[in-house]
Amino acid sequence: MKYFASKIGYFLLTVWAAVTLNFLIPRLQPGDPAEVMVRRLSGETGQVDPAQVEAVRAMLGQPTGSLWSQYWDYLGALLSGDFGVSFTYFPFPVTEVIAKALPWTVLLVGLTQVLSFVIGTLLGAWAAWRRNSRFDGFISIGSTFIGNLQTFWIGLLILFFGAYELGWFPASGGYGYTTPGWNGQFVADVIAHAFLPALTLMVTAPIGFILGMRNTMVMTLGEDYIRLARAEGLSDRTVALKYAARNALLPSVTNFALSLGALFGGSILVETIFDYPGLGRLIGEATSNRDFPLMQALLLFTILAVLVANLITDLLYGVLDPRARKES
Amino acid sequence: MRKRAGLITALTVVTALVAGGCASIGRDPAPAAPPGYIQELILPAEQPNSVQGLENFNPYAPAPLTATWLYEPLMIRDLFSCELVPWLATGYSWPDPQTLVLDIRQGVSWGDGVPFTAKDVAFTFNAAKTYPGADKAGLWGELFGAPATEVVATDDATVRITFAGPAASKLDALVNTMKIVPEHIYGAGGDITTYVDKTPVGTGPYQVGEFNGRRLTLVRKTDYWQPDAYKVQQISLEGAYDANSGALKLRNGDLDYYTGDIPNPERSVARNNATDFYYSPAGTTVLAPNNERFPTSDPAFRTAMAYGIDKAQLARKASFGVMEPASQTMVKLPVQQDLLPGKYQADGGYLTYDPAKAAQLLDDAGYRMGPDGLRTGPNGEPISLVFSVQAGFVDYLAMGDVIVRNLKALGIDIRLIATDPNAVDAQKKSGDFDMLLDYVNGGCVRAKDLGGKLVSSQISTGDDLLLNVARYRNPDVDALVAQYEATTDEAEQADYAAQLIDIYYEQVPYIALQYAPSRLIYNTDAASGWPSTENPYPTDNPLYVLPHLRPVS
Repeated sequence: MKYFASKIGYFLLTVWAAVTLNFLIPRLQPGDPAEVMVRRLSGETGQVDPAQVEAVRAMLGQPTGSLWSQYWDYLGALLSGDFGVSFTYFPFPVTEVIAKALPWTVLLVGLTQVLSFVIGTLLGAWAAWRRNSRFDGFISIGSTFIGNLQTFWIGLLILFFGAYELGWFPASGGYGYTTPGWNGQFVADVIAHAFLPALTLMVTAPIGFILGMRNTMVMTLGEDYIRLARAEGLSDRTVALKYAARNALLPSVTNFALSLGALFGGSILVETIFDYPGLGRLIGEATSNRDFPLMQALLLFTILAVLVANLITDLLYGVLDPRARKES
Repeated sequence: MRKRAGLITALTVVTALVAGGCASIGRDPAPAAPPGYIQELILPAEQPNSVQGLENFNPYAPAPLTATWLYEPLMIRDLFSCELVPWLATGYSWPDPQTLVLDIRQGVSWGDGVPFTAKDVAFTFNAAKTYPGADKAGLWGELFGAPATEVVATDDATVRITFAGPAASKLDALVNTMKIVPEHIYGAGGDITTYVDKTPVGTGPYQVGEFNGRRLTLVRKTDYWQPDAYKVQQISLEGAYDANSGALKLRNGDLDYYTGDIPNPERSVARNNATDFYYSPAGTTVLAPNNERFPTSDPAFRTAMAYGIDKAQLARKASFGVMEPASQTMVKLPVQQDLLPGKYQADGGYLTYDPAKAAQLLDDAGYRMGPDGLRTGPNGEPISLVFSVQAGFVDYLAMGDVIVRNLKALGIDIRLIATDPNAVDAQKKSGDFDMLLDYVNGGCVRAKDLGGKLVSSQISTGDDLLLNVARYRNPDVDALVAQYEATTDEAEQADYAAQLIDIYYEQVPYIALQYAPSRLIYNTDAASGWPSTENPYPTDNPLYVLPHLRPVS
């Protein structure tokens, strides 16, 4: 019981620290949202009209009171679920903006993460089982190579060939000319728009799972019980999947849970390259517009999702593995 | 193994089949237009929003889906001739410098048939008082002219605005920037800046056709008050494009109008058979030396720098020669030749590149060349300048590069630092810089656009970014600008403008580099009548551009 209490206590402490940092960091950033907004409307190099800046400031509302009173107001608002109004999408509340973007990220990043986990784990297990074969060399060296390329660069290549050179897929957005709704045309439109960003993610996302699974499984294969299983004459398939892979899977599951936690952040680079209307694109936009309320809410949700995923895996470990409980 | 290979082949084939027609699913051609009309014009979305389906047409929101086509201003300023083109107002007069009377057009209706009257105008201006966020023109504030004290519609056709003092400088923003909204709709919703307008009812030439969350179509109104002005049947706003995708879309004919920064348009778009471009001067990109610091506080030193910078080379490097080197008078040439004061008519008021003259000016002012090839101040103190340029502004960096090389050749020790644009803004506010790049607006409110860059009340002191970036300080100029703002007499205005231009030319508080462009790249397949050097007209307002367009015969 002490194990669970300490994990939950630790979780609450981290949440408080995250909330406080989240309050402070935007306030330490240079740049005035009103000026940024007027500049965006008047063009990069144009003159910023002081009268316009004043109007925008009046619209967005200036923070009043000391930092302490602002902090208490902020905590109070958070507890009542009030995240404020987005500056970029004024006057829409931040929660509404995020709710519109969330499904796109869940669709794109969620689906590719699940696929990456399945494919990556299988490939990693297979490579480990046939380690030092040509297949293993190909997979290990190939994924190290691709893993070192930037997602950004791969995304641009895919965009260039898939959308511009071949013209097969649309270059940007979540959908194009169709009307949203449950009809075949819209679904096809969404799939067509998701194809290139999903492809980009599928090139890079499985790599972590491949390498992780391969390395753990290589260690597992050296254990005595594997030798015993082999000596007993069990089929290769049974030994590989039921004995080795199953035991090597635990760290990969942790990785997977954490990657799902990071879902809120979306994939900033990929979503930006393809102008995909999800949360990652939104974070980039909120940052460059100094949209503090939106930035804060997005960062907070991301941190909370990661922390919750962490807590759940911690608690699960406690249930599944008696050794974890004893160690603490 | 064979089974698996078969599966992969099948998947590839299916993918290829599906992909073939993927790029434009559900794209229907625009409905046919009546004879004499252009069927469709595809414009980029006005807001680079990525979140789809947040629908708001309120022109007082920071990011309405369109701020151009639904609600109209009172008048439109032609930024070349500086004339005010009558729009929802037919004219204006200043009975005295504190009172502005606007004549409101009669016979105009809102989209729902309710007549548009002077009461709607008075409502819009008064709402800007109640909700300062809507005061985009600074009507009720102290900046450039006295604040308004009262706005009333004296009858259906007249609005009278009373100010606390002379306020001629406020006219432009009032008639040009403030979009008039209907009182019978916006009046019911409280704060007009937070009102979410999903069913716009404007006086403008277009009404909302369809919005699918990503693409907005606007359809020409047949009962618009200028029935024959707009010959484009449907406008589609779709996609926010950066320079690369914008250029590609233009080439494919998927875009008819683009105002973004496509570098080297001569090669990247114009030579393509169906597109052309017109970049007109919007203002002047200038070098702002810090007028509060030695040695840039010395007019002789600044003048020498002005002669020492090769603006022709700078324009070639920064804008591929599309933009011209700028006149030190800050008047946009050649489109405003008529507005140039008489004594500059002959030579255009350029400070042309003359390194020998620059060196002579420095020698004469006591900036002697030392044995190390670097100049020192008249008292022998060393000179070392830091030049801050916004990182990522490619044209600015190209200009900075030329300037640094030219000034080093004169023996001035100067160093370029590329830094975060927000940090450059912070330097502008605090005054902690030697020199940086800035912009002098080429607008027609000269008291503000030229005067604001020179008056001491516009020197930033803290959190606010004000206009006088170079921190020039001169009580005579302060008095001059105050007089300029106070007068509504056109002859006097021209005289004050000429005096300000003399300050720019003689004192060199800012050094003119090249004109900053107002860009328009367009598809000549879609329509004819686009602006060009043979047919020049201002491109800053699409509402003003479109009436020039006609179908391609």
